[in-house]
Amino acid sequence: MINREFREKIKKRTIFTCVIFVLWVTVLVLRLVQLQIIDHARLKARVTAQNEDIIPLRPTRASIYDRHGTLLARSLPVYSVFYSAFSDETWETQWQRIRPLLDQLEISRAKKERIKNRIKQSKSFTWLKRKIDREEAERIKALNIKGVFLKRETKRFYPLGQLAAQVLGKVDIDEKGLMGIEYKYNSLLAGEPGQSIILKDAHGRKYQEEILHRPVPGQNIYLTLDTTIQYMAERELARTVHEFQANWGTVIVSSPLSGEILAMANFPSADPNSSAPEDLRLIQWNSAIQQILAPGSTFKIITYAAALENRAVQENEEFDCHLGYIQIAGTSKRVRDHKRFGLLSFPEVLIHSSNVGTIQVAYRVGAANLCRMIQQFRFGEKTGIDLPGEEKGLFRPLEKWSKTSLPSLAIGYEIGVTPIQILQAINIVANRGSLIPLRVVKDKHLYEQVTGRPTAPRRVLSPETATTLLNYLTRVVEEGTGLPARLPGYKVAGKTGTAQKYDPNLGTYTSSAHQALFTGVIFHRHLPLLSLTIVIDEPQGAYYGSQVAAPLFRRIAEETLRYLRIPPETKSPAFIITAQKRSIE
Amino acid sequence: MVRKKYTPRQMLWLIMGITAVILLLSLYIWHLSESIRLGYEINELEKQLEALKKEVALLEAEKTSLLNPAKVEKIAREKLKLTEPQPDQIIYLQRESSELNHD
Repeated sequence: MINREFREKIKKRTIFTCVIFVLWVTVLVLRLVQLQIIDHARLKARVTAQNEDIIPLRPTRASIYDRHGTLLARSLPVYSVFYSAFSDETWETQWQRIRPLLDQLEISRAKKERIKNRIKQSKSFTWLKRKIDREEAERIKALNIKGVFLKRETKRFYPLGQLAAQVLGKVDIDEKGLMGIEYKYNSLLAGEPGQSIILKDAHGRKYQEEILHRPVPGQNIYLTLDTTIQYMAERELARTVHEFQANWGTVIVSSPLSGEILAMANFPSADPNSSAPEDLRLIQWNSAIQQILAPGSTFKIITYAAALENRAVQENEEFDCHLGYIQIAGTSKRVRDHKRFGLLSFPEVLIHSSNVGTIQVAYRVGAANLCRMIQQFRFGEKTGIDLPGEEKGLFRPLEKWSKTSLPSLAIGYEIGVTPIQILQAINIVANRGSLIPLRVVKDKHLYEQVTGRPTAPRRVLSPETATTLLNYLTRVVEEGTGLPARLPGYKVAGKTGTAQKYDPNLGTYTSSAHQALFTGVIFHRHLPLLSLTIVIDEPQGAYYGSQVAAPLFRRIAEETLRYLRIPPETKSPAFIITAQKRSIE
Repeated sequence: MVRKKYTPRQMLWLIMGITAVILLLSLYIWHLSESIRLGYEINELEKQLEALKKEVALLEAEKTSLLNPAKVEKIAREKLKLTEPQPDQIIYLQRESSELNHD
């Protein structure tokens, strides 16, 4: 009996224990489900944040070279100082410790405040000063201040200073391209960042680092620029701007056959190694591709191309320019020549840059034909040069033309163009009617990849029209307004321009401010070797293109030819004397 | 129980076998340690190479900076008193073929 009772008791206790056990296991399982399934993502993230750090590994930014391999931009090793805060110390103790170092590093008061606030907020990482040189880094290392560490970084260096500054551009503190080639080809130059993982213990101390992805280095870029030609262009441009007390100036030198830009000079300019705001502004503004201006008489090239292409005028036809002015039909506006010419043949109108004669030619061409030719020359659209910030200019469609539009456009007004567009136009004529895209990067495939434009030539003009026009432009330099651009022994074709500036306050062009222009080509063995476009803004005293821009063209061309060792092809002939009294524009 | 007696020939084979195994193991250990040593050496040399490459990059940049045409012209004009030649002073010995030249 006793035995039976005892067994019953044991059985009950066993059942009770089993129930408790099952309940305990159920609770455990439920808790596991909560931790492993429901809260899994949140908890995993917490653990990862506590024990692991994914650090980006930046590859060294690639270098930029000129066409001959001269270094133009390179990232060099430097050090940056940072502070790693301690949670077991008060912020005041930490601040007192690093303050003398901040004074030594000459850190501004505002920056000091920012650092102080970060330490107050117990931020684990604070930059103290970035991009210091090796000597300074060694001095800081020797101080051995608790929590102060050095990190190896790179700093962009432009060894030739302000040479081609607007073309090269600049990078920010993290070496990301901000402007120029640095911006346009940023993804190629920068490469692809890698990643490393840092494993930390419970105290946050690093005990292992593994590279997850190796960084892919950037690709070096070779430009079409020639350092020596660029230097000569910049030096001569600066001289001219100073001589004529002008506001600014720009010179572009290209090889018409390849579309390669050999030099793109701007004045004023600045050193991209400097980080002064004023210098940044100067580097950012590339007049050669961003400045919109009235092309003035250089645009007569387009009017003449339209006249020749449409056979609107015969070569032996004459135009009466004896009044020295022309009344624009249906308006009270008069356009003047700077002198009375008398009767001028079709080529002579261009050679002597007569506004009166050119407007008569334009009336013969007609608005539709002139408009079509302007569009064929791609005015009003970007040239597609591989530089950022290019302007497309201002050009109204035919429907919006007024009574003054045809005569104004014929002589280069009521249109806004950039210097690079003028260069593209002269290159089309020099290349016998073919448009070869302009570029600053040597590798054609790279250009096509980045711009999405083909480098193949496109026909704009018939070869016959271009050849005839080139003959006229050669005579402009041999016996017309372009005489100061003449290079004895070399064949040069070009056109001067003197444009009145548009005054936004008056809403019209003003005769008190001018821009002097010249665009021309130098031939070697009957092929175009070099082309130049020059713009000088508001020269004082003399202001005609023939007085300011043409002599600059001659000086740069002379030096470039000597540098390229291109000897004169003919013995210098005596100056050609024509019956026409020569004038300056 | 009778203990098996090895013949001298068998003993020789046994000793040779043990020696061969020891030699092979030693060779393997030596190979491992040598690989590790060379690994460290390669790592060290790679670091040196990297440092030298950086030094070269720095020196190249310095060289380019010193050869800045503006600096060269200043020295040529002011220190060496050089001037630009007049057209009649230039003799073209040969037409050097340049990329821009159409020779």
